[in-house]
Amino acid sequence: MTNAVYVVICVIGMFFITLGTRGSFFMLPERYKLPPRIERALRYAPACALAAIVAPGVLTNAPEGTPNFDLTNPRLWGVIAATVFFVWKRNMMVMMVVGMTAFTAVRLLTT
Amino acid sequence: MADLSLARRSLVAALLPERDPTSFRLGVQEISTPSVGIAVWGVVTGVAMVKSGLSIPLAFFMTFVAFAGSAQLAVLPLLAERSPIPIVWITAALVNIRFVIFSAAMRPYFLVLPFRQRLFASYWNGDVGSALFMRHHANATSFGNPSQWGYYYGGATTNWLVWQASSCLGIVLGSRFPASWGLDLGAVLALVAVLIPMIVKRPIAVGVGVTTVLSVATAQFPLRSGLLLSVILGIIAAMVAEGSDPSGDQQ
Repeated sequence: MTNAVYVVICVIGMFFITLGTRGSFFMLPERYKLPPRIERALRYAPACALAAIVAPGVLTNAPEGTPNFDLTNPRLWGVIAATVFFVWKRNMMVMMVVGMTAFTAVRLLTT
Repeated sequence: MADLSLARRSLVAALLPERDPTSFRLGVQEISTPSVGIAVWGVVTGVAMVKSGLSIPLAFFMTFVAFAGSAQLAVLPLLAERSPIPIVWITAALVNIRFVIFSAAMRPYFLVLPFRQRLFASYWNGDVGSALFMRHHANATSFGNPSQWGYYYGGATTNWLVWQASSCLGIVLGSRFPASWGLDLGAVLALVAVLIPMIVKRPIAVGVGVTTVLSVATAQFPLRSGLLLSVILGIIAAMVAEGSDPSGDQQ
């Protein structure tokens, strides 16, 4: 399978997944309701999924997945700076600039 | 030509419910302020797609077909490593689960429509549009009328246009920046910006903490299975924390 075919298959699947989740309860017959306990479990899923992407993206080496707690890792400092700034100011655009600046500064200092 | 425009009109009538024009304009108006944020987000996603290794045509394909910003950003590192297709899909589904909750909340407004119109409406039901719709109709006493559908489509179509235009701009811009700038980090930073506002109570903080530690510890598991394992255990941890939360409140 070429990489383009692989991406196309993934994206077509994402189309149906997105349509299916966005429209889940629009399309289900009226008798189906969301049980409160399930709803609470579902509320946690997106945040946990994002954490499971972000953390290894910063603290492991791609693609082998070995831990990388190296304090000269520029990605780590980019994310730390951006996180601290975002918790403080909640401004996404400036946060991206802060994160990329910290990343670039550490990258230039360590090479 | 007359046949064509007739065909177009009957297609529109088949897929779209009746829309009140005044409410449509109101929907457009109310989403125009958050549109600045949508546009920034779109540019970031566009840049991140090409910087994580997608070719320009594939990036355009993804933005128009998937049309799911957070899910797109979340799967980019997985695509770059050529993770198994089911893992990519499950990750997209997990990030998109919030839409299940939104759709359950918005359902009463659409239930009277024929199935094909509900299916068509589903495609457009993004984060900002849903939030505005729910806020605007919080005190509604009747459910499912042309005023509500007009408002919905005013917001939804504006959201789509702003998102796609900015995402395409990001794709074009991104392809001009050198890889050494590390702009693929932008995808991770953007996900942090979605994640942080979600951490509002103790149970979710516990869930995110457990997932963070486990996802790093299990990153070497074959076929990216550590991702799923850490998310499932994180959700369980959050639910356990919820049960033991002295204030007894839920997220």
